[in-house]
Amino acid sequence: MSVSQQKPSVESWFKHKGWKPAAFQRQTWKAYQEGQSGLVNAPTGSGKTYALWGAIVQESLAVEAKPKGLQAIWITPLRALAVEIQQTTHKMTQELLPEMEVQKRTGDSTAKEKAAFKSKLPFGLVTTPESLHLLLSHKKNEDYFKNLQCIVVDEWHELMGSKRGVQVELALAYLCALFPKLRVWGISATLGNLELAQQILLQPTGQKGICIRANTLKKIRVQSLIPQTMETFPWRGHLGLHLLPEVLKQINKNRSTLVFTNTRAQCEIWYQKILEAAPQLAGEIAMHHGSMEKKVRLWVENQLREDKLKLVVCTSSLDLGVDFSPVESCIQIGSPKGVGRFLQRAGRSGHRPGATSTIHFVPTHAMELIEALALQKAIDHQAIEDRQPYLLSFDVLIQFLMTLAVGNGFHPKELFTIIQRSFCFQEMRKEEWQWCLNFIRYGSQSLEHYDEYKKVEVTPEGKYQVLNKGIAMRHRMSMGTIVGGADLKIKYLKGGYLGSIEEWFISKLQPGDTFTFSGRILELVRIQNMEVLVRKSKAKKAKVPSWMGGRMSFSAHLSQMLRETLYDIEQNDSPERKALEGVLQQQKKQSIIPQPEEFLIESFSSREGHHAIFYPFEGRAVHEAMASIVAYRLGLLEPQSFSLAFNDYGFELLSDRPVDIQGLLDNDLLNPQDIFEDLRQSFNVSEMARRKFRDIAVIGGLVFQGFPNKPIKTKHLQSGTQLFYEVFKDYEPDNLLYLQALTETYEHGMEEGRLQQAFERIEKQELCWLQTNHPTPFSFPIITDRLRGKLSSEKVEDRIKRMLQQLNKATQI
Amino acid sequence: MRISIRGEDFILDPSGALFWEAQGALMLADIHLGKITHFRKHGIAVPRAPITDFYVRIEKLIQKYPFQQLYFLGDLFHSNLNSEWDTFVSWSQKQAFEMTLIAGNHDILPAQAYQKTPLHVVENLVLGEFILTHHPEEHTPFNLCGHIHPGIMLRGPGRQGLKLSCFFQRPNQLILPAFGAFTGLHLLTKSVDDKVYILGEKEVFAYPNEP
Repeated sequence: MSVSQQKPSVESWFKHKGWKPAAFQRQTWKAYQEGQSGLVNAPTGSGKTYALWGAIVQESLAVEAKPKGLQAIWITPLRALAVEIQQTTHKMTQELLPEMEVQKRTGDSTAKEKAAFKSKLPFGLVTTPESLHLLLSHKKNEDYFKNLQCIVVDEWHELMGSKRGVQVELALAYLCALFPKLRVWGISATLGNLELAQQILLQPTGQKGICIRANTLKKIRVQSLIPQTMETFPWRGHLGLHLLPEVLKQINKNRSTLVFTNTRAQCEIWYQKILEAAPQLAGEIAMHHGSMEKKVRLWVENQLREDKLKLVVCTSSLDLGVDFSPVESCIQIGSPKGVGRFLQRAGRSGHRPGATSTIHFVPTHAMELIEALALQKAIDHQAIEDRQPYLLSFDVLIQFLMTLAVGNGFHPKELFTIIQRSFCFQEMRKEEWQWCLNFIRYGSQSLEHYDEYKKVEVTPEGKYQVLNKGIAMRHRMSMGTIVGGADLKIKYLKGGYLGSIEEWFISKLQPGDTFTFSGRILELVRIQNMEVLVRKSKAKKAKVPSWMGGRMSFSAHLSQMLRETLYDIEQNDSPERKALEGVLQQQKKQSIIPQPEEFLIESFSSREGHHAIFYPFEGRAVHEAMASIVAYRLGLLEPQSFSLAFNDYGFELLSDRPVDIQGLLDNDLLNPQDIFEDLRQSFNVSEMARRKFRDIAVIGGLVFQGFPNKPIKTKHLQSGTQLFYEVFKDYEPDNLLYLQALTETYEHGMEEGRLQQAFERIEKQELCWLQTNHPTPFSFPIITDRLRGKLSSEKVEDRIKRMLQQLNKATQI
Repeated sequence: MRISIRGEDFILDPSGALFWEAQGALMLADIHLGKITHFRKHGIAVPRAPITDFYVRIEKLIQKYPFQQLYFLGDLFHSNLNSEWDTFVSWSQKQAFEMTLIAGNHDILPAQAYQKTPLHVVENLVLGEFILTHHPEEHTPFNLCGHIHPGIMLRGPGRQGLKLSCFFQRPNQLILPAFGAFTGLHLLTKSVDDKVYILGEKEVFAYPNEP
């Protein structure tokens, strides 16, 4: 008997490739074979795909009969990743099960691909949460899934803290109820709350499941880039361009480098500046961010894989699973805001087993040098963040109910128990469920028979179903939970897409103005039909678009490390500390460096008004809430209007009249009693909730964004989410979607648990109030922040009067 | 607030209505009746409560100003026919004053719909030196119009800002604020030649002019 007749196996396939299965891969194969569900904790590049796909293929090899129908679904968060996973798994499948195929189905799939799927079901399907939901809206969906053995959820750490995670939970609950033997597997990077991640994912299976960890701990060192002379170190800033020479040196030292930036604007600027300073890099340098056209991004990823680029400037768009061989060096510009994300980025740089990987950190202002020290400390302690799951996301539930109603419809009684099997909705009350049903059937809770509301109808058999084609079509078009601002596509006059850009940036430009995008300088010609028409420009100067996203907050771990680092800063003898010398001296001269038992408040006046700066060092999200509470309480002493600014170190109250710090101290206004009640009362919360409501309104189907290329037909149906928010607030304040915006503001916007702890910590500290003549180094990055909240306890009429008076004064001079 | 344009006196009401005493005329722009029901018919669950808002507010204006003519400066009804039109028809039949609609881009109801009401529907209307239109028009003696839903950002010290509905006056033109409840604002920038009158809750405030 020849070798070829020996039964093929995944083991022998590995051997044939010259690979040796890792322990975690073998463990996964075994557990899967035993029929278990579970979670694989492994980073990108460790062979996690083969751990699970190997298990799935091996099982089909073990049975005599050829597998029939769809065996496995692989869910990935990004469409770009779907391409790669599909190629990898398809290749492995074909080599072991020659007639079997793996297809992909995402928003990018063509009609032809979709038809092929329906006519002959593939062995495996790689898809995104949105596309899986679309499949559930098909009338024949039960036929698709009846042979299904397993659902794999890739990058679960990324999904679980988002509403797309809720989407996954709902799909799993639904499919597990239909097919009780279904196995569910997740793949996740390391998280602070990995156990919870496992529980959420596996809850619909009714099993606890197994957690398999790949042992891939890396030793990582943070090295700050520090300029030769410290006099030039800026007190504020967010670009870090003063360190360009040091960054170039670092780039030249290595064969390949990734430069991580925090925002797309920063990414565009750094790319331009590097090219200007080192034109010889042209051809070997590329840029990668989420607003760029997909084709260009895929090209960059491929070049990276083939090792053809010396440098890529990118945003978090390269954080996720795009697999490419490790680069030699990683550089992080500005604060990464979280330990987990920083580790993930550092992991992109290559190293010999056991050796230390180094990530270079470019502080954009002096205070970030302290952060560099805190980051190292956090990495040494493995203090990785938790991901906070969404609970009771009624917007996603309503969308899911519509999805089912558009397809075969559903019986509410049966579905209720299925929905309750998901972690997100396990505590949903009967009344809340009824509310959702009423919402999609009557559009309200009071039944008015003369009403013309039309969405879901109830068939004589008691099934909830959408019978109107227009409504079904609009729902299919607007499914999904990823919500951007109003994005416009950028297109050359002669044709060819470049990517997308937020409307609010473009709306500030006039035709003829130039801006940089995707590394090019473009001239705005005109805007039509949600498209920005541009031509290439030879102008030297251009505006750089900024995107609203990317304002993240320090995690609890990093905040704590930052405080500890700061308290001990004078004993520290690192290069970072030496570089900070001047700044620290200046801070001490004007104010103090707070110690563990001290809470620092600084105040001073300027042309802008009266400033009061508080330093809790708790991260921007917590500071936003604290600023609202303190401003609200000060307003109780005397009505006053504030403008609020915050960063990860502290917050500022700015007013046109002096801020009564003495009153704040005398009345103990920083006490932790009733903080949530005060927060609710403060106007700023409603402003924050308004921002959250934008996504909720789109997901919950209140805002229809129009059919692509058909702007006319829907023109009388379009309306801003702002308007909806106002109407709900004024006329239907018990609407669950409106209430959800508030809940999300508390739980996700400002992390209420941390807020309580922060106030309790401050209560034990001594309040140190220092009046200074000028801003201190600590305060500088905060007071120069332009993105601000507002809080006022004055009547609107009084505010208008006073602002007009001020304007009158100004015009009389 | 009382203002004078081309020698004529007007009262700007904080509700967004414009009263021209000499003509016994009250003007309202962009009410967008029927918008809520239009949305609801298409499966978008806007609360029903603000539907009655218009009737409550117009009743107050009837008590406050002695007018014989009511002019709607366009976008009276948001889209196709729905039950809100019936409500308007029965209200309109009970009123003692005359009503004229200067048709706007949203006013797409069939002619029969208007016949049930006392409304005169016209493209535009000339009253003395003034021309009433829906869209702002450039080359006229003086234009009273709507369509824009004008708003202004009021800025103060301490980086404060307030977004407010307003009457917006250009050299040859006065744009009325949107009177409807479920309508938005379009922010305008004031140039030296413009005058802006901001709607407070109970009062109208003049924006100071450059010296």
